[in-house]
Amino acid sequence: MTEPHELFSALGDRTRLGVLTALARSGPATATELAATIPVTRQAISKHLAALDAVGLVTRHQEGREVRYQFEADALDTVASWATDTAGTWDRRLDRLRRSLE
Amino acid sequence: MENDSQRVTVERDVEVAAPVEHVWERITDSTMVTEWMGGEVDIEPSPGGDITFLPRGGPAVWGTVEEVIVGRRIQWSWRTDDGLPSLIEIELSPGATDGSTRVLVRETLLPWTISGPDGHTEWPMASARTNVQLAA
Repeated sequence: MTEPHELFSALGDRTRLGVLTALARSGPATATELAATIPVTRQAISKHLAALDAVGLVTRHQEGREVRYQFEADALDTVASWATDTAGTWDRRLDRLRRSLE
Repeated sequence: MENDSQRVTVERDVEVAAPVEHVWERITDSTMVTEWMGGEVDIEPSPGGDITFLPRGGPAVWGTVEEVIVGRRIQWSWRTDDGLPSLIEIELSPGATDGSTRVLVRETLLPWTISGPDGHTEWPMASARTNVQLAA
């Protein structure tokens, strides 16, 4: 299970986020295909894809000599879980604070 | 929830039927904070002060108070032994009705500051913004 801070760190680079956004919008793609639409080298794209793969934000699918990458939206559940838990915790705290002042 | 390339933040608020000065005491006095936080809290409400939190059933949390504007705002960062570092901001402002106070809480994960340039994990204890101001 990827820790939330690992996931967020992977998302914290603009180019990497661009790679992920391209995969989310246009569907699975190879590093070569992504390099044709994002103004960085294919090598840089590959490096970012490896980082995204490491935290589960993309999965690799071998196709002949090429690897196609696919965006995995489920990985972002970690973000949603943290936000939901945190919001619920503060709602309970603030409710107790409100009642303590009545 | 806000989620852009820089931060992930949860924001909650409540309006309480009490003046700002009463609420300020409730969020900066250790005994009073303990009553509503859900665990024992020890806080030194001044920049650089320690804050520890022993939540019921959870791991201890500790950190540093970073910014205090008396009667208006307090900010600290903390982390658990095995959890996530986060930034807590609590802001007070006059409520919609006379004598009431709006309490805004913002908790932000600090993912972009825990990975150092060489890839090792760093903990961003008290940031450069450690100053205290008196509310106007």
